[in-house]
Amino acid sequence: MKIGTPVEELETPVALIDLDALEHNIGVIATHYRDKRIRLRPHGKNHKSPQILAMQIAAGGTVGGACAAKVSEAEVFVNNGARNVLVANQVVDADKVRRLAALAKRVPTTVAIDDEAQIERLAAGARALGATLGVVIEIDTMMGRGGVRSIEHAVKLARETTATPHLHFRGVMSHQVPTQRPPTRAQRFDEGGRYIEHVVAAKRAIEAAGIPVEIVSTGESWTYDVAATFPDVTEIEGGSYILLEVPYAFMDEFRYALIIMGRVVARPDARTAIGDVPIDAIAAPNGFPTVEGIDGVSVTAIDHHGVTLSCETTFPLAVGETFCLLTHQQDMTVNRWDRFAGVRQGVVETIIEAPARGCVN
Amino acid sequence: MQRPIQKPVGTPEQELDTPALSVDIERLDANIATVRGPARAEAWVHKTPAIAHRQTAPDAVVGIAVRSIAEAEVFAAAGFTDIRVLRPLVTPPSRRRAAALARSIHLVLSDDGIPLWGLDALAGAVTVSARVTSVPEAGRAILDCGQKAIGRDFGDPEIVGFEAYRASAGSAEHGGVAYPKDATPFSIGDWLALRPADMATVFSLHDFAYGIRDGVFEAVWPVSARGAF
Repeated sequence: MKIGTPVEELETPVALIDLDALEHNIGVIATHYRDKRIRLRPHGKNHKSPQILAMQIAAGGTVGGACAAKVSEAEVFVNNGARNVLVANQVVDADKVRRLAALAKRVPTTVAIDDEAQIERLAAGARALGATLGVVIEIDTMMGRGGVRSIEHAVKLARETTATPHLHFRGVMSHQVPTQRPPTRAQRFDEGGRYIEHVVAAKRAIEAAGIPVEIVSTGESWTYDVAATFPDVTEIEGGSYILLEVPYAFMDEFRYALIIMGRVVARPDARTAIGDVPIDAIAAPNGFPTVEGIDGVSVTAIDHHGVTLSCETTFPLAVGETFCLLTHQQDMTVNRWDRFAGVRQGVVETIIEAPARGCVN
Repeated sequence: MQRPIQKPVGTPEQELDTPALSVDIERLDANIATVRGPARAEAWVHKTPAIAHRQTAPDAVVGIAVRSIAEAEVFAAAGFTDIRVLRPLVTPPSRRRAAALARSIHLVLSDDGIPLWGLDALAGAVTVSARVTSVPEAGRAILDCGQKAIGRDFGDPEIVGFEAYRASAGSAEHGGVAYPKDATPFSIGDWLALRPADMATVFSLHDFAYGIRDGVFEAVWPVSARGAF
């Protein structure tokens, strides 16, 4: 991919990032948080790219570091300039805990727990390296994944963490998604607000037990403005806003920044085209990709060999012509690409590397 | 790029950094031994030259099939000399790349009548490992293997030895297992092997596959054509 190449001349399939949209999205949260106490903790899982993290941090309103889903992902961001990191997940095996402890000797490193057994494991690894690991208690609000199921359990874990050498209790975190799709603005504030209130209640219960709480990390892209109305919330873990995805379009202040561009390779009949985007280049766990910018054309099948595009009337593209697809789950799409063509006004302006792609360990 | 903790050959499979993509070598070789020729091995499914070399060892297998010119370039660089590209080449640059490749290998750009030999080689040989990271309530365990490690485009995985329990790769980073509330099959730290719902998806997510024999790590195989769309 040569800088200056017109987009339609790129070999396909190719992953494009619209730089105007990316900068716009970064600006929305940075501007909203400029004069507020709440900060954005940019989630690296949504772009896998230290280049994009650096843009988010430079725009302001962030914690100056990253959120990561995995230890190996956290390493990539710390190795490339993140000044602190929160692994929003449980880390339990001895090797990974040591890896986390090694990271903690370089920058403030925090990890989420939801069980007494994790306290022992984290403490053992941190002790072995003479490190101190930050700990937040994950509070389950609605996901049914990791996270304590009661505020009493959160208080108990906070007490045990505080009493454990080499661990530094820092606070509470949670993650949630809207149950109404798409939610109205009122529904976002109502439902998102209820989840955040639950986390704030856990924070206050821990404080009532005499333990100071410095981090309340709750809220994400769909509640960035909701969370900002809670004085107890210190940060959100925001990621989906940066590139956006079709089911998230209800957040209409953000723009689609990620496009998978393909080419028609066959025209089996007048209304149908086969494109060169296999399912593993975009991922489709939440439904077929959406065709952008061509009226009446939709995806009717996608498999490992390519995508079938159908039109109610004569298909408008010939073999060799390009089309653009929008994903319905952007972090899954991002995880298939090692680099993106950063484009502006139809021309490649920069190559955006994604070295944390594939960091599942 | 996947960045697992590297361990030496001879390490028990259960000690490899999770999630890890594992291929049972004896099962793979037994599957390959059943091939009837002539056949062309669909190397695009696993994108892994080390597996394709085993597949093309029998005389019955004349070459490999891949999807794109980029995959063909990767396999040619790994020593394959008879490669069919399944996707039509519609741009001048891709045709120039094909012409360049055809100087050094037998490159087939249309159906040459040789049957494709697909998933049988991998049947039952491929698993992804996972560890239990949380048991947050009765009847539920959370795993460190989600969609990004095993895929969900074609369904949820199965847990080897616990096929009756409902496993899910429903989240990007987490897997989950649901089981009867009075059962206590898993503790934090437990190691599990998951059978993926779809081979081509799981190989599109990992940069390395581990060759396992008798439960022990024997070889690391780069998934070299991963991402060569």
